[in-house]
Amino acid sequence: MTSHSVDAGASRYEPTTFKVKDKKLGMWIFLASEVMFFTGLIGSYIILRWGAATPWPVPGEVLNVPITAGNTFLLICSSVTMVKAFAAIEDGNQKMLKVWLLATAIIGACFVGVQAYEYTELVHHGFLPSSGLYGSTFFTMTGFHGFHVTVGVLCLLWVAIKAFRGGYTQADHQGVEIIGLYWHFVDLVWIILFTIVYLI
Amino acid sequence: MSAEGKKPRYMLVFGGLAALTAIEVAVAFMGFERRVTVMILIGLAVWKALLVAMYFMHLKWETRALKILAAVPFLPAAIMIIVVLMEKF
Amino acid sequence: MATMASEPTGIPVRVEEHPQSFIRKYIFSTDHKVIGIQFLFTCLFFLLIGGLLAVMLRFQLGFPGAALPGGDLLPDTMAPDGIILPEFYNSLVTMHGTFMVFFAIMPLLVGVYANYLIPVQIGTHDMAFPRLNMISYWMFLVSGLVMLSSFWVIGGASAAGWTQYAPLSASPEASGVSTGQILWILSIAIFGFSSLLGSINYITTVINQRAPGMTWFRLPLVIWALFITAILGLLAIPVLTAALIMLLFDQTLGTTFFLPTEGGQPLLWQHLFWFFGHPEVYILILPAMGFVSEIISNGSRKPIFGYKSMVFAIIAIAFLGFIVWGHHMFQSGMNPALGMSFMISTLIIAVPSAIKVFNWMGTIWGGSIRFHTPMLFAVGFVMLFAIGGFSGIFMASSPVDIYIHDTYFIVAHIHYVLFGGSLFAIYGAIYYWFPKMFGRLINETAGRIHFFLTFVLFNLVFFPMHGLGMEGMMRRIYDPSQYEHLADIQDTNTLITWAAIGLFISGLYFGVLFFWSLFRGKPAPDNPWEATTMEWTLPSPPQHGNWKELPTVYHGPFEYSHPDVEKDWLSQNERPDVVSPAHH
Repeated sequence: MTSHSVDAGASRYEPTTFKVKDKKLGMWIFLASEVMFFTGLIGSYIILRWGAATPWPVPGEVLNVPITAGNTFLLICSSVTMVKAFAAIEDGNQKMLKVWLLATAIIGACFVGVQAYEYTELVHHGFLPSSGLYGSTFFTMTGFHGFHVTVGVLCLLWVAIKAFRGGYTQADHQGVEIIGLYWHFVDLVWIILFTIVYLI
Repeated sequence: MSAEGKKPRYMLVFGGLAALTAIEVAVAFMGFERRVTVMILIGLAVWKALLVAMYFMHLKWETRALKILAAVPFLPAAIMIIVVLMEKF
Repeated sequence: MATMASEPTGIPVRVEEHPQSFIRKYIFSTDHKVIGIQFLFTCLFFLLIGGLLAVMLRFQLGFPGAALPGGDLLPDTMAPDGIILPEFYNSLVTMHGTFMVFFAIMPLLVGVYANYLIPVQIGTHDMAFPRLNMISYWMFLVSGLVMLSSFWVIGGASAAGWTQYAPLSASPEASGVSTGQILWILSIAIFGFSSLLGSINYITTVINQRAPGMTWFRLPLVIWALFITAILGLLAIPVLTAALIMLLFDQTLGTTFFLPTEGGQPLLWQHLFWFFGHPEVYILILPAMGFVSEIISNGSRKPIFGYKSMVFAIIAIAFLGFIVWGHHMFQSGMNPALGMSFMISTLIIAVPSAIKVFNWMGTIWGGSIRFHTPMLFAVGFVMLFAIGGFSGIFMASSPVDIYIHDTYFIVAHIHYVLFGGSLFAIYGAIYYWFPKMFGRLINETAGRIHFFLTFVLFNLVFFPMHGLGMEGMMRRIYDPSQYEHLADIQDTNTLITWAAIGLFISGLYFGVLFFWSLFRGKPAPDNPWEATTMEWTLPSPPQHGNWKELPTVYHGPFEYSHPDVEKDWLSQNERPDVVSPAHH
């Protein structure tokens, strides 16, 4: 098999198949694993509930739907501010990048705050992780989602600090893009969780 | 990546998400038959999730390979849940 | 350096700050080669631990109730007067499995060789995320130390089997082990995260950082295997993490996921664990198959038979591996219809594995065979893996499994594929890439002695277990002599124990050989095996950054005995028309 021509199928600095640079590709791959993680938790919830001998409480019976609906709206807002931050730096707008990043972090922190408040209310009413399967699944799923949000807020602050130091330009703002991907994912998981845990 | 015509879409998507959330909450308490309620709610949730993925996460404008990468984990996820549900505890 | 007949690509390697201090260079290094070697040393240590635990449990099985030599060094909670207690025996069995699977075999295959080989075989200077890579190693070390520490807490180490079935694993009242169990869970959770970081690195690097000309179907099979393995880990390990969290909460927070008294489902644990566990065992074999393909092709001086079918077989095994997990649960009381579908999928998954075995045989057939030590281990792999595969067919059939589940027949199968399979391949890989990693050669005769000792003793230990299982000897039992139906075969257990002690000693021999060769081995040339993949065009060991300029790849990885070239191999970045053309 003699060949005189070089078949340069993949050039080192031009990613081919996915046309996506390393860090972004790495984040998507990480999110694929997160899908499996939440599948483990949410899937177990579905399975346990499907096979439960005793009936599950109806929506609103134990949990506060209106407040959490509002919280869901908050998280969606934070996704919007996040995407606006990304759009800003794509346009080279440093000022709005900082504004929208901070907004996202603050709204995200509010979400966690509201959840924490919800938890304390529930615990005061005697609803704990040890309150049967309902308590076990509720606290584990929402708790780990809340943990992911908290980590997200911390990363957002890190990115915001870097933005304030002028670390992002119109040409190079990978960090904003990838924290954005993570943040939207966390919102996406909540969309599913809210529906399944609070409404069904 | 150019941003022509993309910014207006974000607010549109936001509006859609907000509206869908409101509809979901309403449907949950409307007292439809159980199976119907569940199907509608799951459908609405999936719709919202796709909006976030396609527009906010930019999947709509990415390569087919990346779309597949994003979709891939849902297959083993579905297998796990469906198969174990067949256990009928 | 060997004939450099490649056109320079003109793509310089990114200039990185070169760390000078010993600590930055060898301890907290981000160089994939150093990290791979760190994994190697750490894993050999854990392999030793796993082997020691095995010898201890075998001692109890071979000489029930006898005092373990040196056993009076152990505390009374483990072995009063040196006689192993049943509870401690359960811990031994559990921890042997745990250390071997998580801390020896898996990281030896992936942590060592994915890290070391991926960049040098695909033609790049390092992994996509070098600092994540470093974190991955240190998390792994921490997780191993946490696991080791669990022996010394009150209540002892986990004793619920490496499979940790609930409610034994979920309830301290049931197992008598509390802190040790929590440490087990935490350790594996940390390990899982370390593995995840590794997977992200390997997948991104293979996708994005192949050298010019390195198309997907020119990748060495080692890379294909490691790539697909990384995907398996990416998708399977998070499910285990979720399950571990639920188990931990059952143990500590009073949740009831797996505890039946409050509506929990023990079977859910089994499903979650094996949903992870089955892809896990393919993680444990696929890289080994990759190494074997490489070594057999090299040792036969022939291209691998059926390269594309080998790739598709790897992909098929990985895909099917997600739908066979129920075959670990045939006896659990699960839905029988589900049992049937798992049986069918399990029988089907034997096909791509068989294709690979036939392809290896096809590679060796008609080859000009060199029986260097790696080749011995690779051929040994094919034989022993095939035996393990045959026993797998028996077990795949649920009616047969009713009889042999949880017996020593299963133990035989496990060890034929994990030891005769994975560990033999690991030994082969260690011998094969040792010259590249350390710039030294391991003496061939000494290596051959290791191979023959291991091969003979391994079969003496594990082949009789097929028979023991058929006779009804159950797994994880403390004292076989207590059972009437096992009284006749106690002698077999004793024989196995003696052989196991011998096997452990041969492992120690390997350890001595390995470390001796590190310091006293003959200096190695760049390409002692006359191999074709690109790491062999680099010095032994390669410098930091691997290449000064990225190579160009011209053809696939198995160009042995190329008709247009006089020497009998071509590196991937050599052009046949430029390199010593053959005279026809």
